[in-house]
Amino acid sequence: MEAQSRHINAVQVVEFQGRLDAHQGKQVDQKLSEVRNSSNQTVVNLSKVHFIDSTGLSVLVKGVKHQREQNGDLVLCELQQPVRIIFELTRLDRMFQIYSTEHEAIQAFQ
Amino acid sequence: MQSRKLRIGIVTTYPPGAGSLNEYAFHFVHALEQKQEVAEISLFVDQLPPGQQYDLHQSGLHPTNGAPDVATVTAAANGWKTPLRFVPCWRFNSSLNSWHILRAVQQCKPDVVLFNIQFASFGDRKIPAALGLMTPALLRLFGVPTVALLHNIMETVDLKSAGFNYNPLIERLIRLIGWIVTSIVLRANLVAVTIPKYVEILEKRYGARNVLLAPHGSFASESTPPSFDLPDGPLQIMTFGKFGTYKRVETLVEAFHLLQTKHDAALELVIAGTDSPNAPNYLENIAKQYANVPNVRYTGYVREADVPHIFGEAAAVVFPYSSTTGSSGVLHQAGEYGKAVVLPRIGDLAELISEEGYTGEFFEPNNAQSLADAIGYIIDDPERRVEMGRQNYLAAQGLPLLEVVDWYLLHIESLLKK
Repeated sequence: MEAQSRHINAVQVVEFQGRLDAHQGKQVDQKLSEVRNSSNQTVVNLSKVHFIDSTGLSVLVKGVKHQREQNGDLVLCELQQPVRIIFELTRLDRMFQIYSTEHEAIQAFQ
Repeated sequence: MQSRKLRIGIVTTYPPGAGSLNEYAFHFVHALEQKQEVAEISLFVDQLPPGQQYDLHQSGLHPTNGAPDVATVTAAANGWKTPLRFVPCWRFNSSLNSWHILRAVQQCKPDVVLFNIQFASFGDRKIPAALGLMTPALLRLFGVPTVALLHNIMETVDLKSAGFNYNPLIERLIRLIGWIVTSIVLRANLVAVTIPKYVEILEKRYGARNVLLAPHGSFASESTPPSFDLPDGPLQIMTFGKFGTYKRVETLVEAFHLLQTKHDAALELVIAGTDSPNAPNYLENIAKQYANVPNVRYTGYVREADVPHIFGEAAAVVFPYSSTTGSSGVLHQAGEYGKAVVLPRIGDLAELISEEGYTGEFFEPNNAQSLADAIGYIIDDPERRVEMGRQNYLAAQGLPLLEVVDWYLLHIESLLKK
């Protein structure tokens, strides 16, 4: 699992690549945890994630819970269709703010 | 912004109650009470037989006010973080359960009520079973937000194997009643199921838009890997559950008999658990029927504290199912204890195996020779047994219930905001 992060104003953008699954869960969790330490506003760009399972979803759920407890949020953007289907199946698409583009996701925090 | 703390009610069975899903309830509640956003949990449980009571001290809990049927428990004594209240208010096969649960909920006033149910939770007689399943809709009608965790759906249950079928006409009638009852269950604010196929069926056949997929979750917490060594003495082949309907042990005992005739090593068959509420005296009759088969041990009800011991000593865990009614909690437990498993080639179990990373030996249902062969492959090859156990342990570690309950809390908070 590759992950890149960058700061845009007060927003931390994290971009994952590959599969977000049980095998990568700890790495993803660790990355989100690092990001949380520097900002309570996180954008997770999933444009390069083509597969997500329940462990991957769970890491994101943990992330959004934590950020909202800190009066911030974790939002998602650029979901590929197979990933979007899993979000819809679990109705987690209604629990997260999901944006079509990274720009829109960042703007949501402004 | 920090949400206010939640007062959660759960309609369920719970140990030492022997009703189905009691073990799942125990682990679900234990996970839920560890969450800081939960202020209080009220368990709307079934009334126990005379002489039994919810063992408030089992986990070191102490009742703080002691009405016989409504006990509030503080959790400080054993490290549990959230006050827990047992409210025994319904009875298996009573037609008045909906009314009694509604009254109890109105007294306790939880913010939301979860239902840990399957289609036969409230009875093995059709009318009480159906009436009980109307409770989520009834509570919602009275303004109580409800979330139903439905462990199975009628469409995927083999009614004959589950003990409900008498003839094709009656089966069609039961299916029709099932369709009506399912439609009513879907009147809950949210309905969670554990298998993707169930979501598809409920959306397509019922036009439901309030169904979500939630993982079953493993019962494991941050555990250390189990030992894959076995104790001295006979190799134990174990089955665990509530028997008599779609979990039947006749084929297993016959397979065990075949195994004993072919193996020099000492073997023991451990049948751990009780009769299904739908099949009273089943195991007693089995013990009589197979009195000629030696080295079979019937444990009776297994207390939660004894579960690790029962699983830990088993060389293989067998699932003598003729059909399944949902994602198997026992499979998750077998994984948690690093056990090799023997499974029938049927519906949900095979799906679960492939989707969740478990592995097992498969046998043809109701075929003693096939089952004996499958068990033999495991007990004859210790390396294979350990390797299967290791893979199942890793699969069980995938997503603990502790994380699954976060999903529920997120859905509940969203529901309460509406």
